[in-house]
Amino acid sequence: MPKNRVAVIGVGETVFKNNIVDKTYVELAQEAAKAALDDAGLTPDDIDAVVFSMAPTEFMGVNDVEKWAVDSVWASGKPFMRVHTGGATGGSALHAGYAHVASGIYPTVLVVGADRVTETPDAQHVLNLIWDPFYEQDFALNTVTMTALSTQRYMHRYGTTEEQYARVVVRSRKNALNNPYAHLKGKITVDDVMKSPRMSWPYKLFDICPRSAGGAAVVLANEEVTKRRCSRPAFINGIGGMTSTVFMGDRVGPFADAELSDEAEFVSAGKEAYAQAGITNPMKEIQVVELYDPFSSVQFPQLESLGFCERGQAQNLSDEGAFEMGALLTVNPSGGTLCSNPIGVTGLVRVADAALQIMGKAGEGQVAGVKNALSTAIGGSVQFVNLTILGADYV
Amino acid sequence: MTDTYILGLAMHPPSAWIADKRLEEMVFDTAEAALKDARIARAELDHVTIATCDELDGRSISSMLLSAPAGAYLKDEIKTTDSGLIGLCLEVMRIESGRFHLGLLSSWNKSSKAPFEDVMRMRCEPFYTRDVGLNMSIADGFFAQAVSGAYGISESDVNGAIQSSYKQASKNERGMRPTVPSLEQIRTSPYVSVPLRKIQQAPVTDGGVSMVICSGAWLSKHPDRRPLARLSGLAWRVDNYQLGGARLSGLLGFKETFRKAVAMSGLQNFSQVDLIELDSQTGFHEVAYRRALDLPSTCQVSPSGGPFAQNPYFCTGLVHAAEAVLQVSGRAGAVQVPGAKRAAAHGCHGFAQQGNAVAIFEGA
Repeated sequence: MPKNRVAVIGVGETVFKNNIVDKTYVELAQEAAKAALDDAGLTPDDIDAVVFSMAPTEFMGVNDVEKWAVDSVWASGKPFMRVHTGGATGGSALHAGYAHVASGIYPTVLVVGADRVTETPDAQHVLNLIWDPFYEQDFALNTVTMTALSTQRYMHRYGTTEEQYARVVVRSRKNALNNPYAHLKGKITVDDVMKSPRMSWPYKLFDICPRSAGGAAVVLANEEVTKRRCSRPAFINGIGGMTSTVFMGDRVGPFADAELSDEAEFVSAGKEAYAQAGITNPMKEIQVVELYDPFSSVQFPQLESLGFCERGQAQNLSDEGAFEMGALLTVNPSGGTLCSNPIGVTGLVRVADAALQIMGKAGEGQVAGVKNALSTAIGGSVQFVNLTILGADYV
Repeated sequence: MTDTYILGLAMHPPSAWIADKRLEEMVFDTAEAALKDARIARAELDHVTIATCDELDGRSISSMLLSAPAGAYLKDEIKTTDSGLIGLCLEVMRIESGRFHLGLLSSWNKSSKAPFEDVMRMRCEPFYTRDVGLNMSIADGFFAQAVSGAYGISESDVNGAIQSSYKQASKNERGMRPTVPSLEQIRTSPYVSVPLRKIQQAPVTDGGVSMVICSGAWLSKHPDRRPLARLSGLAWRVDNYQLGGARLSGLLGFKETFRKAVAMSGLQNFSQVDLIELDSQTGFHEVAYRRALDLPSTCQVSPSGGPFAQNPYFCTGLVHAAEAVLQVSGRAGAVQVPGAKRAAAHGCHGFAQQGNAVAIFEGA
């Protein structure tokens, strides 16, 4: 139980697409911040502190780019910090904002960020630089080849097929049709996915997220401000996070503390968050999940590690339609990361989309009767994981 | 007033170039030493906070390789990228949230790894300032011009302050033990950005610092543990990106950050603060800061020597926090201020101190 309860009272997102040519980076962040403030019915003067969400700044070519954005997100004269945990950044930034409010030091906090991944000619060249310069960079590792390796291991262990991953893509693109901000969307078939160009086995092009530009923001508030300002907030009832080793080889085999292909760091992070939120049966008590899934293979191990089903069962439930809109568990009603990936804020987009479901503001993508929603984020060599549990009521 | 305590700390011995260790080894050694100082096993930690800069570390997500050496393996860890002292701000809020109770905070800077001024130049936005070639030295030169006018600072004021800082730094066994330059050497040092001369800048070094931090609730359950200090006040703030005259000469962010930290500590002014460790990156900063705060004579300024003792640029503010904790716990050695009960640490970041942070510690 935190010292002070925390809720999301405003959400803002920009459109996500390959290039946004009519706005600079800082204008994108401002658009998201303004949308969140408008949603909360607040002005910049109502904000006590700002947390900025941004992953590697090489993507858009300005070091410490958050300092440039200070004036645009109305942070000048206020406490301000940037959080960066790779792809997990948006979730970590939310947790940092949560700490601001839960500590009782700041009543109202803006968590905001933006990314322009396509400012760099090839993000995967930048992402090769995240590995050890002596041992790993020369192996042509990037986030595609890295997760392809762990996916191969998962397929070997649980008998997953490429077609089962293709169904995830089909569902995500279909869900994204209801999301006005999504980058990729549309009615595609399993055959379309299977026939898309091979990238790194088992991945085809459609198994992989786009490189997106865009921004996102949420306004967090303490109980007193929430009561005054928001009739239907999304209460943050649980948070959890876990950092593992960078070395993938240390996460496979009988002596691994957390199995790489299972994304098993989510097991203990999930238990911690569930304990805070009073969740004992996730599949029964949580209606919506917004999973960080930049690749089609990333959903299944997360769902299993987070206790929604047994190991190796998520693929079968997926085939049976259990993760469709309004089914047993709605997985990524927004289309998820497979459809939009502005890396520096993707984890925050996951929180924002989960909050919209609780707040009843998800529009055409609204799932009926959402009482609890869960969002995740993953970064590094699938080594930084975090999750946030939002509820319609305080625990 | 917070209910957060410093249980132990360690600083890596600074050097202009730590050539015999990888960055991972530097970070591991420092984190391990802090845990030993606190008599804490890593398994007892419930979270880790990291403060580091990818660009200065030379890696796109530096914590990928460095979180484990920093003690974060299978821990709930978050990294902030502004400065070491901002890392302390995040760490304190995580403790104060009631969600966490025992954490390890680490920050470092192997400045010798990266072309420092190139990294700084890439901070410039691409439309106006990058083509100008702005870097840290030029931004500090603008600052020097602005505060010289606003505070009536002469070159002899600056040179005297520089020599005093070097003298103090030469006494600090945890620092670089620099040779004290003569006034003539300072006066004839080449300009790097008028009116700033080379010897008037604090030399950048390699270094790192780790702290073990706990909640009051944790201490209550471990009555055998005696903390080094309590964190009584904390404030941080960022100001405009643009290097306008008002921001450079007004020192508004600097003064307001100190005012808020003092207020959070339940104090009226600096008369109850025994010492302040200032992040004076140049002699102009040192003189301007002293005049802006109008400190009483009872408050000593930078007994450690400040950045002139060691200046692992990204984490210099957290080094100052460590020095402040050592002072109030009576462990500051040759630079100990007798009877120090309360000490403030200052850190800044961004071009010409766009961001400021202040932490105030009191003996526990």
